[in-house]
Amino acid sequence: MPALGGSCGQEVDQQVNRSAVSHRFVRWLGAVVAALSVLAFGASSASADDGYQIRIQVKEQFRDATGKTDNQPVAGVTIMVTDAGGVEIGRAETDDKGVAVIPVPAKADYTVTLDEDTLPDGQTLSTASTAVQQVTKDSFITSTKVINFFTGESQGGSQSLFDKLAQRGVNGIRLGLVLAMCSVGLSLIFGTTGLTNFAHGEMVTFGGLIGYLLNVTGMSFLGFLAFIPGVHDDGSFHILLAAPLAIVLGGVFGWALNAGIFLRLRRRGIGLVTQMVLTVGLSILLRNFFLSRFDSRSRPFKEFSLQKAWEIGPVSITPRDFTVSVLSLLILIAVALSLRYTRLGKATRAVSDNPDLASATGIDSERVVRLVWILGGALAAAGGVFRGLDEQVSFDMGGRLLFLMFAGITLGGLGSAFGALVGGFVVGVMVEVASMVVPTELKTTPALLILILVLLFRPQGILGKAQRVG
Amino acid sequence: MDWTLIIENSLKGLIGINAVYFAIAAIGMNVQFGYAGLLNFGQAGFMACGAYGLGMTAHYFDISFWWGIPLGILFSVLLGLLMGVPTLRLRADYLAIVTIASAEIIRLVVRSVKFKTYFGGSDGINSFAQPFRKVGNSLGIEEADEYGFWPFRFTGRELWTLIVGWILVALLGFFVYKLMKSPWGRVLKAIREDEDAVRSLGKNVYSYKMQALIMGGVIGTISGMVFALDRAAVQPDNYSRDVTFYILTALVLGGVAKVSGSIVGPMMFWGLFTFMDNFLRQVAEDPIHLGNITLMKSTQVGQLNYILIGLTLILLMVYRPQGVFGNRQEMAFDGR
Repeated sequence: MPALGGSCGQEVDQQVNRSAVSHRFVRWLGAVVAALSVLAFGASSASADDGYQIRIQVKEQFRDATGKTDNQPVAGVTIMVTDAGGVEIGRAETDDKGVAVIPVPAKADYTVTLDEDTLPDGQTLSTASTAVQQVTKDSFITSTKVINFFTGESQGGSQSLFDKLAQRGVNGIRLGLVLAMCSVGLSLIFGTTGLTNFAHGEMVTFGGLIGYLLNVTGMSFLGFLAFIPGVHDDGSFHILLAAPLAIVLGGVFGWALNAGIFLRLRRRGIGLVTQMVLTVGLSILLRNFFLSRFDSRSRPFKEFSLQKAWEIGPVSITPRDFTVSVLSLLILIAVALSLRYTRLGKATRAVSDNPDLASATGIDSERVVRLVWILGGALAAAGGVFRGLDEQVSFDMGGRLLFLMFAGITLGGLGSAFGALVGGFVVGVMVEVASMVVPTELKTTPALLILILVLLFRPQGILGKAQRVG
Repeated sequence: MDWTLIIENSLKGLIGINAVYFAIAAIGMNVQFGYAGLLNFGQAGFMACGAYGLGMTAHYFDISFWWGIPLGILFSVLLGLLMGVPTLRLRADYLAIVTIASAEIIRLVVRSVKFKTYFGGSDGINSFAQPFRKVGNSLGIEEADEYGFWPFRFTGRELWTLIVGWILVALLGFFVYKLMKSPWGRVLKAIREDEDAVRSLGKNVYSYKMQALIMGGVIGTISGMVFALDRAAVQPDNYSRDVTFYILTALVLGGVAKVSGSIVGPMMFWGLFTFMDNFLRQVAEDPIHLGNITLMKSTQVGQLNYILIGLTLILLMVYRPQGVFGNRQEMAFDGR
């Protein structure tokens, strides 16, 4: 791609000599790393508190050939803990040891509920254990209270197929909207510069972690802002303030990545494969940086984490998740409309279609690329915050979504913004609905299947153009 | 600060088993990335094929250990076809996406409770390596004895795997070196440079790419086997996405499109990595403070090392994409 940087890139290339550019590159890289460390040092102070916790173990009980009873852990079952007032304290999925640990604030009465929808197919709770178990204040002997659930062969489903499908569909829509939001940037960056950004998942995590940093950890030097409603004395922000701030900072992060690294690489004429490998390095760097500052636990935001779900027909959804979904839908519509109708949006699509032709018609493609990085960073950060509200914040929340995003943008058509919207959404819904058939721990496998089938039969995706592919 | 220990460990890291299995995997990746221009980000998946091929002989099939070698190779050929058939006619990024996805799915499947009977779940598979160890014993290398001289002291167990490993590195390195001098290798390099030109000469580019992908994958499989034999265990989380990335870093460090680079790179990688790890751990025994901010605790040393790996890869890509020993001329595979 010779004219990647448009006309201005080449002129600059001649003016600025090589060593000066590389000098500045080092400074920039240093600045980006330094800025990151300043931004995130606070997160490490969120140390583990040795509070009370409820440890839930889910086991499948069966008799083996000799007639002895044996246990097998059941993974991917959702467990919810609510307090005496019915407010949700925490929720978790059992890991591959069949164990979920949910911290609780104090010795008190709790209700532990197992979501029977999430049990693997063909299993129900055995008659001896019910889906709802009570924990009383006095039953905490140590700081950990152990609760066991036993499952066995099912004798007919407890819920009708339609009800299950409806619930999974709603979960899928929630995931799909977040995926669509995260994917737009990935697809547009690819469309305008040709770069497949393997660090995009870390841009999502960045949003979630910055949100957490502002919302929960707080930065004491911001305490002077406490006169603003929603800002606390310790410099932490209400999530309604923290979320937009995180999104803005996500945009700044996207801008910094472009200005600090990728713009310079394009000017130096460094090839796309090299840049792609570089994003891999960036992804390793960022993820481990997040890990070292945030450690490997996942944590909720301060507000809205404890909510009672609404029951609408067969579907249950918390007001928080509902609001988040509506917000993401609005954001996505806004993005789609501005791409469709505004001047800059049209320019973006033009560059994405054919950078050379767009440059020839007088579009400043570097400006468009900058815009795309800012927009992509902001949307990824928004996805991170929303995902963090929906589930929890963790250091690899984005990295785990990356592969689903790739499946989404491939399905939609690599490089097409609308394709990313549609594809991300479809993949999200499919993954959740498919978990009715495949075990929860493997629920991302259908995305690989989608990926392979699309590439075999329609490599340009639903909305992509065939010429892009070859 | 105990410099003797740091230096001893670093020198051992230079030729230790980690360098061996990285080197074999990097030789394979070099066939794909360096010579054919194929971006395989799923080498860990191929390694898992080899490891589980060996492990499943004892765990599931209950057949002789030695059948694990053809079994692992069979797995990796199948995996190569799965990755290659949909993507090799398309642009390079698609292969990268599909390989990274497949490797991750393999890891999820082998660690799942659902398929525990086949793959042993998240605990993996143990106790299958005895026949391999026995061969070492019968050649007079006693498992428990210590061999070597300072700083290279190894137990008989380690030594036996190391000997086999380095012999494999030498054989595979020689094989790839000769292969790339052959007509087949020249076609491969030509594909990297200009696919259309090769096609116009009547060569079946798709087939050549597929052969390169599978060959690199099979070499990766052998690396997975060596690693599994050293640990005498197969664990799903040893085959995560990051392993592929670290191997890629090691390969690029040494030099792309050069056999020597793909062997020296992993040695340098592990020498440096072990040095940094040991050094930083000793430095961070007391947490380092700047004012009231904790800059580094000893628990953060591991992550700092990986951050440095990421930074190394970034800097290499900016300033020396061909690696330390590579040849810039061989880096012309960069088209859109």
